[in-house]
Amino acid sequence: MKQVILLLRYKLLAFIRMETKLTPENILKNLGSGIIYAGFAAGAFFFSKSLIGFLLVEIKIGLFLLHEFISMILFIFFLSVNLGNIIVSYSTLYKTNEINFLLTRPIQPVKIFLIKFLDNFFYSSSTLLLISSSLLAGYVYYFKLSIASFILLFLNFIVYMFSAGSLGVILLLILIKIAELFGVRKVIYGLIISYISIVIIFFRINSPRGLVNSVMQFYPLIDKDNYLSSLIPPIIKLLPNNWLSQTAYWLVKDNFYEAVIFTLLQVMLSVFLFAAAITMGYKWYFKTWLLNLKLTGEYNSKRKEIVLFSIIGKSIFRPQSKAIIKKDLILFWRDPSQMIHFFILLFLIVVFAVSVAGIKFVGLGNFYLQTMIYLSIFLFNLLLITTLSLRFIFPVISLEGEAFWKIKSAPVKPILLIKSKLLTPSGVILIISLGLSFFSNYKFGLLTLLFSEIVTLISAITILAINFGMGGAFANYKEKNAIRIASSQGASLSFLINLLYMLFLIVLLLKPLSEMFLSIMINKDFSSGEILWALLPIIVVSSFIIFLFFRLALNSLKKDF
Amino acid sequence: MLELKSLEKKFDSFTAVNKINLFINKGELFGFLGPNGAGKTTTIKMITGLLLPTSGNILLNNLDVWKNPIESKMIIGYIPDQPFIYDKLTGRDFLCFCGGLYNLSDDFVKKKIDELIEKLRIDEWIDKRTEEYSQGMRQRIVIASALLHEPKLLVVDEPMVGLDPQSAFIVKKLFTEEIMNGTTIFMSTHSLHVVEQICTHVGIINNGNIIFNNTIEALHKLKMERSHNLEELFIQLTNKE
Repeated sequence: MKQVILLLRYKLLAFIRMETKLTPENILKNLGSGIIYAGFAAGAFFFSKSLIGFLLVEIKIGLFLLHEFISMILFIFFLSVNLGNIIVSYSTLYKTNEINFLLTRPIQPVKIFLIKFLDNFFYSSSTLLLISSSLLAGYVYYFKLSIASFILLFLNFIVYMFSAGSLGVILLLILIKIAELFGVRKVIYGLIISYISIVIIFFRINSPRGLVNSVMQFYPLIDKDNYLSSLIPPIIKLLPNNWLSQTAYWLVKDNFYEAVIFTLLQVMLSVFLFAAAITMGYKWYFKTWLLNLKLTGEYNSKRKEIVLFSIIGKSIFRPQSKAIIKKDLILFWRDPSQMIHFFILLFLIVVFAVSVAGIKFVGLGNFYLQTMIYLSIFLFNLLLITTLSLRFIFPVISLEGEAFWKIKSAPVKPILLIKSKLLTPSGVILIISLGLSFFSNYKFGLLTLLFSEIVTLISAITILAINFGMGGAFANYKEKNAIRIASSQGASLSFLINLLYMLFLIVLLLKPLSEMFLSIMINKDFSSGEILWALLPIIVVSSFIIFLFFRLALNSLKKDF
Repeated sequence: MLELKSLEKKFDSFTAVNKINLFINKGELFGFLGPNGAGKTTTIKMITGLLLPTSGNILLNNLDVWKNPIESKMIIGYIPDQPFIYDKLTGRDFLCFCGGLYNLSDDFVKKKIDELIEKLRIDEWIDKRTEEYSQGMRQRIVIASALLHEPKLLVVDEPMVGLDPQSAFIVKKLFTEEIMNGTTIFMSTHSLHVVEQICTHVGIINNGNIIFNNTIEALHKLKMERSHNLEELFIQLTNKE
């Protein structure tokens, strides 16, 4: 235990020293971060409070449906944390120089396993905890629950996340063992197929549309009692996401006893999974570390490079751009963690686009409701664009890594470097963004669709610029793992700035959109010029943000290396 | 060819390079010696555009390197002390990528890579990912990448680190050939033996200041006068400061 504490102490010390060098730049950076974090915490609080109010009062979905939707979101969240933990843990537990160093010291491997597991979990979760505590506070405030209820919910949420992390490392150990039997490639494909299947099966068993239809049969008694829980499929009741939403539900129903029972279940599962992870780490970590060396060696020797294209060869670009674009594509293609994450996100986006395209919009006689639905979908689209940008644009500069000396010492203009590095990922993200916007809005009519496409294009470019600029300002050339880069402090800050920008868009769009929907509803003539005028402040502010963050990126490229 | 004029680099209050002046002529192999932390790598990074000087100028063929970065970098080849390269690229990918950075034509890159593969004896490894390479093999790929565009000035930081005797021999031979072809080399090294073997001129830096700058013959003369041993002379000179 002494060794574990010693190692944790030095990790903490290294972190504090890294972050607290008192230069004017750092002070300004930290002050800015503090203001944005505080602003965001407040924003998340009001967002959660208002959204619950809107769903319950305006749309009247009832308590049961509200908590079932929360449960579904929590399930996706569990899978994301879980999968993220598998990928990040693989790189930090098996591939880092720090591990190579620690394993040559007289330290039991299980202690290294424990430290790195905790390091991964807390490193990636600090912002998430801030967001969730603010969202929970908004929830608790809306339902006027006690402080004890907040603590209980927060505890439930943390152990829920911890379960996802623990299960991640357990699966990782098992996957490496299985890879010995079936080979690395098959295991990776198996992992992707399994996660996609889990999502499909979950929504087949627990279809949101089916649930809404079932609940609506009880309308208007949907808010009355707990008898609706019979609509939850039995297998779903066994999942921890359901325990968390049930805890919240029973707290609202003032049944503290039931809430405590579900929290206890959550804690017991988390303790069990953590104990299982440590036990398996004790038995298998070092063995799997050696196994991984063997497997990697075998994989490398057997591997036949699939040559998609050569860096040299015909291209519409000039040699410098061609070299940078093709190099980035090859590196992306050859990094399994990038490819897996990209395809999973793409899959989720396709699922979302198909679901949204199939929705029959309710409340067509209520212009306010229609505005809200429109804005909710718009906001969700922006969140997806932000997720993609944060995951694939923010790390772009950091991923140059220590090999960046080659580009920096070569005759490449920084602006050309930026253009070349952004071209492919931005192109893909912009196409996805416009596609998403199309599928979400084509049912609203041509004018709305056109307006949405324009706003989406402007906001997507702005979000890309924010994440690229912040990625440059917080570049960490020593970190090779894109997921860790995308969950660093700088990335969290970038995410918060994205959210502030989204808030700005929503505030600006609310009035013209509701006027437009009102005009459509009462068959009043509505000039498209009115809605297009609303674009002006968006274009001005967005252009300023784009300029500012590109400048930030440009300056970061000129820094000493 | 290369002139450093009152070149200075400060990191906060610490002065890493203290207004140094150096002049290196075309075709010289300039050995840049100094103990750890003396300012060798900092000087090299300023020449190659990786560190912005606090003050002073770096002139390459009378052109200010920091005012004309693109033109200057076109004629510089840089070999860093640590051969960091993109792990997931093969050696050939990396060299093709470097060729693109210098706007070289595909045909020229192909021809030049074949030539360098032979010279540096990297044919067995060239199509494997660099993550599988040893330190020495990475170093050879980095050397090849620096020579690809036929630079007029080669800036080399500790070229022999991690090289086995065979690789070190190949590299020394290559540098000598480059000098004979008219290339100028600015090379920092800890290896006094290498300096004696291949350098034409020597500069010694200590605590950011140039304490010796002359021909190899002058250094030999000083060695004979003071200690008959270059290692002892180096320690004497750097301790005095």
